[in-house]
Amino acid sequence: MYLIGNITLYLGIVIAAYTIIANVIGIRKQNNKWIESARGGVLSLLFVSLIASFLLLYLLGTSQFQFEYVAAYTSHNLPMVYKLTAFWAGNAGSLLLWTVLLSVYTAMLVFSKEKQNSMMPYVSSILSLNILFFFVVMILGGNPFAMTETIPADGKGLNPMLQHPGMILHPVTLYLGYVGLAVPFAFAIGALILRRMDAEWIKLTRRWTITAWLFLTLGNMIGGWWAYLELGWGGYWAWDPVENASFLPWLTVSAFLHSVMIQERKGMLKTWNISLVILSYLLTLFGTFLVRSGVLTSVHAFGSGPLGTYFLIFMAFMMLFSIYIVISRYQLIKKESIPIESYFSKESSFLLNNLILVAGAFAVFWGTMYPLISESLKGTKINVGAPYFNSVMAPILLLLLLLMAVCPLIAWQKATVDRFLKNAIWPFAVGVLAAIILVVVGVKGTFAIIGLASTVFMFATHVQEFLQGTRARMKATKENIAKAIYKLTRKNQRRYGGYIVHIGIALIAIGVISSHAYPEDILKTVERGENIAIGDYVLTFNGLTEQTENGNGIVTADLKVDYNGKNVGSINPEKIFYETWPEPSTEVAIKTNWKEDLYVVLSSWENSEKITLQVKVNPFVSWIWIGGGIMVFGTAIALIGGRTNSTGLLKAFRAGR
Amino acid sequence: MIKVRKKILLAGLIILMILPGGTSAFTVNSQEFKNVIKQLDMQGHADHEFSTCSIQKVYYDEVIEMLNGGMSEEEIIQSYVNEYGQAALRTPATDKSGWIAWGMPFVGLASGIAIVGVWLRKVKGKATDTFDIAEVKWESETEKEIAEKLFEEERMKHF
Repeated sequence: MYLIGNITLYLGIVIAAYTIIANVIGIRKQNNKWIESARGGVLSLLFVSLIASFLLLYLLGTSQFQFEYVAAYTSHNLPMVYKLTAFWAGNAGSLLLWTVLLSVYTAMLVFSKEKQNSMMPYVSSILSLNILFFFVVMILGGNPFAMTETIPADGKGLNPMLQHPGMILHPVTLYLGYVGLAVPFAFAIGALILRRMDAEWIKLTRRWTITAWLFLTLGNMIGGWWAYLELGWGGYWAWDPVENASFLPWLTVSAFLHSVMIQERKGMLKTWNISLVILSYLLTLFGTFLVRSGVLTSVHAFGSGPLGTYFLIFMAFMMLFSIYIVISRYQLIKKESIPIESYFSKESSFLLNNLILVAGAFAVFWGTMYPLISESLKGTKINVGAPYFNSVMAPILLLLLLLMAVCPLIAWQKATVDRFLKNAIWPFAVGVLAAIILVVVGVKGTFAIIGLASTVFMFATHVQEFLQGTRARMKATKENIAKAIYKLTRKNQRRYGGYIVHIGIALIAIGVISSHAYPEDILKTVERGENIAIGDYVLTFNGLTEQTENGNGIVTADLKVDYNGKNVGSINPEKIFYETWPEPSTEVAIKTNWKEDLYVVLSSWENSEKITLQVKVNPFVSWIWIGGGIMVFGTAIALIGGRTNSTGLLKAFRAGR
Repeated sequence: MIKVRKKILLAGLIILMILPGGTSAFTVNSQEFKNVIKQLDMQGHADHEFSTCSIQKVYYDEVIEMLNGGMSEEEIIQSYVNEYGQAALRTPATDKSGWIAWGMPFVGLASGIAIVGVWLRKVKGKATDTFDIAEVKWESETEKEIAEKLFEEERMKHF
């Protein structure tokens, strides 16, 4: 096993290097045989990375503690699902996951229907270079097949915080997003090297980019849900450096998905779009560097080690390489763009949207790095925690919400103020009405009310867009409402898929603003039969029980819950004492309804008759998860449809043919 | 495991001491306490789980004691800053020494707006010089036909 595992890693290095060389020779000699051979190399890379992955899964599943990685992250009594998900629990396994996903993506590309495209050898080379780097890093400092000196009787087990369904999905989806961003990067660089500055690379990578964004969204949403349920991660979003690192490429890709429409329609922003793609890719490397370098303290980090340095070197190399390519082709990129006709147009609003998204990314980056910057400049480390990010990002995200509210109402090319006001009046009125209602019912907090009202304005704009389109269809085609909505969306999936994503964001915004501005919490010690009252809830403590399950001790509190005077069942927060882990795990108990979560934590106990509970009422948190689901649904709609708008005709039109 | 359970029992006792009592004016549920505690970094333990974090408990205890000793929220924060420096807090200072941390994101945004503004003026200028929508004339029937097809395609997206 040891031999097979290590041979796959060394073979990976050799094959990846060969694939790059074969591609380069094929390109230079214009020889298809070499290109074919490189394609075979990619297939072999997929093969060896899959063997390595299945081997690691086998070792984890069968508890082969002679392997360091297996002994460090699993134990005999760990449920099988978590033995297998321990694949990505540690540094070495996560590197292998990255490698296998990248190999799958590369193989899918070089064997796709575009395999004869002249850009493909360049794309294959760039992706193979990434794969080569990951194989080298595994050999140098993260070998999942390293052996222990003595075989332990049992492994250390998996951190209890990782024993959660989120562990199955969150890392994989996030990595699918991270790795996916290497594809548009490779195409952009390939197009630049070939001096093909039309929108072809964008057309070829549109689905890849949306897929990567979809997985990043999904990864972040699942991560947030997991962190909310599992105490110790700091809540659904704690602005932890590693969380920020996954948010950064999400912001820049969001900007790219909007600005790319301007390039498709007007041939503008070529440099900007290429820069965004390069930046997004580099930010994925930056995130990987942060998790593995130990330069910043994070609950999500793998700890310090030499791996961070390797990532820093690779990131610097790819950055310099990209900058060189862009600068050397700059004159070419600058040509052939159609100018903007009016300040007041969708094009301009998209520019503003890009500006805000990138400014948001800069703010997050700045806040994340500031402790390091302050330490190197002033010699003292200044903390930048969640309160900083909440204060800085709130106005930026509010601007973004407002822009999302008005952007769909602005026409392409040249909008008129009269027309805009006519379209904006109803959504705006709904927003204002929402603000008035909030004030009248006694909701406090000016900023939160402005945020909620802006969100309602944005939501109403999108509903109006759907209604207007549906009404027009119904009038013209005599279709019923359901068919009209379906056909409307089907005919322009990209646009309406995007609108559905915005509606999902509106729901998330309501959840985030409400749960930040209006949470209630109480820490209280109660004896059996005593109550805790919070919000509309009254909790009655009925007793504490102890039991053993799979060798783990579980202490459970039983509480009766009354909501608005009516009994709505019971709630059972727990503490689990693991045999193989020094710290107990606190299992939160949650009761959800449409407007709030009752969130109960068993903090401590004096005896079975007297316990201390932390009880919170978090308003509208479930809206965040629903919004996330809607975002994923909207993205899937945009992904399935989404022809590139009239490119052929536009080209013909521009060329005067 | 027994040791851990003992720790939790001890934590329970500490919590009992800082929870509402007969004489204490401030408790962990007081708004004043929450205002102070949310600003403290607690040596990097601010986001840790309260029930298993001994460092947090020490801070909770201290803050309650200071509040009940008559200190104001600002005085308590200042006492921690005096002891540990700015690292005692979760955010950079809001005075002159922290303006780079707080101001830079907005400087970035303002610079971006300025750059985009200048760039828009530049490209808009070009547009005025080269393209006037009112003066478009079809140079040939083919061109007109292509444009009409384009408009029709756009229209068909909705129907």
